[in-house]
Amino acid sequence: MKLKDLAGHLEWELMTRNVPVEAEVKTGYASDLLSDVLANSIEGDLWVTRQTHLNIVAIAVMRDLSGVLLANGAKPDPDTIEKAVEKMVPIFRTHLPTFEVVGRLYQLGISGER
Amino acid sequence: MHILDIVQNSLAAGATRVEIKIGEVLAEDLLMIKVRDNGRGISQEVLSRVMDPFFTSRTTREVGLGLALFKEATERTGGYLEVHSEEGKGTWVLACFHLNHFDRAPLGDMGETLGVLISGNPEVDFFYEHRVDGQIYLLDTGEMREILGPVGLDDPSVLDFVRQDIQIGLKKIGAATFPQVMEVLR
Repeated sequence: MKLKDLAGHLEWELMTRNVPVEAEVKTGYASDLLSDVLANSIEGDLWVTRQTHLNIVAIAVMRDLSGVLLANGAKPDPDTIEKAVEKMVPIFRTHLPTFEVVGRLYQLGISGER
Repeated sequence: MHILDIVQNSLAAGATRVEIKIGEVLAEDLLMIKVRDNGRGISQEVLSRVMDPFFTSRTTREVGLGLALFKEATERTGGYLEVHSEEGKGTWVLACFHLNHFDRAPLGDMGETLGVLISGNPEVDFFYEHRVDGQIYLLDTGEMREILGPVGLDDPSVLDFVRQDIQIGLKKIGAATFPQVMEVLR
């Protein structure tokens, strides 16, 4: 499923204007510990987290993640958005809590298997 | 965020002077944050349980969850948190982080942090020191108050000056806004 097609299912808004959301998403990872994501995410994962600071962009770039989804209404810091746009990392935000987000992604065929 | 929380504990304890000292020692990959106040201090009995999140959030108003969370943030990077206090004299918090650990959160906007503290507590003296190896940035609102005379520290133009001065000053000394391991951000 393409990133952009997930929008309706996850009630999210795109926080990074003009960043493409065409990437195909097959897998996802959910964690708030950055070292954990660095160690255990795989290329193309959609990352679900509540961390909002600048370092999430670095992790997304280093692991080549398809996007970052901030759950539970978490608001990204302004410099996070600025850097994400520069590095072309799509960041989304939803009011849904993480458990609900992951459940819906799973039902849509996004797997967490490594 | 953590610094703001910790300083708010100091203010709740009636401090009239709060020192925030941040030191980055690059060779040792160390980030130290020290907050010292002259508030009423904490008794030894409370001090021994001050970082227990259940105790702190339930029974005292002066010390919230801030310390427990701050401790966790240091330990995530392999660091530690110490709290020392003497009743009637004040409290001293030392947080040590590994500077370039992936789980070390960015320091945040110190200009904004000091701006919030000063605007809400213009009568309190805030001393902020930030060292990166040998280089140093200093801000002392006690000194500023003397120079400003009748103009209050909470005057919007003064607060703007403080925010900008901190931002420019920290840039000048090369303060680490985010861990260097995140160099893809540059």
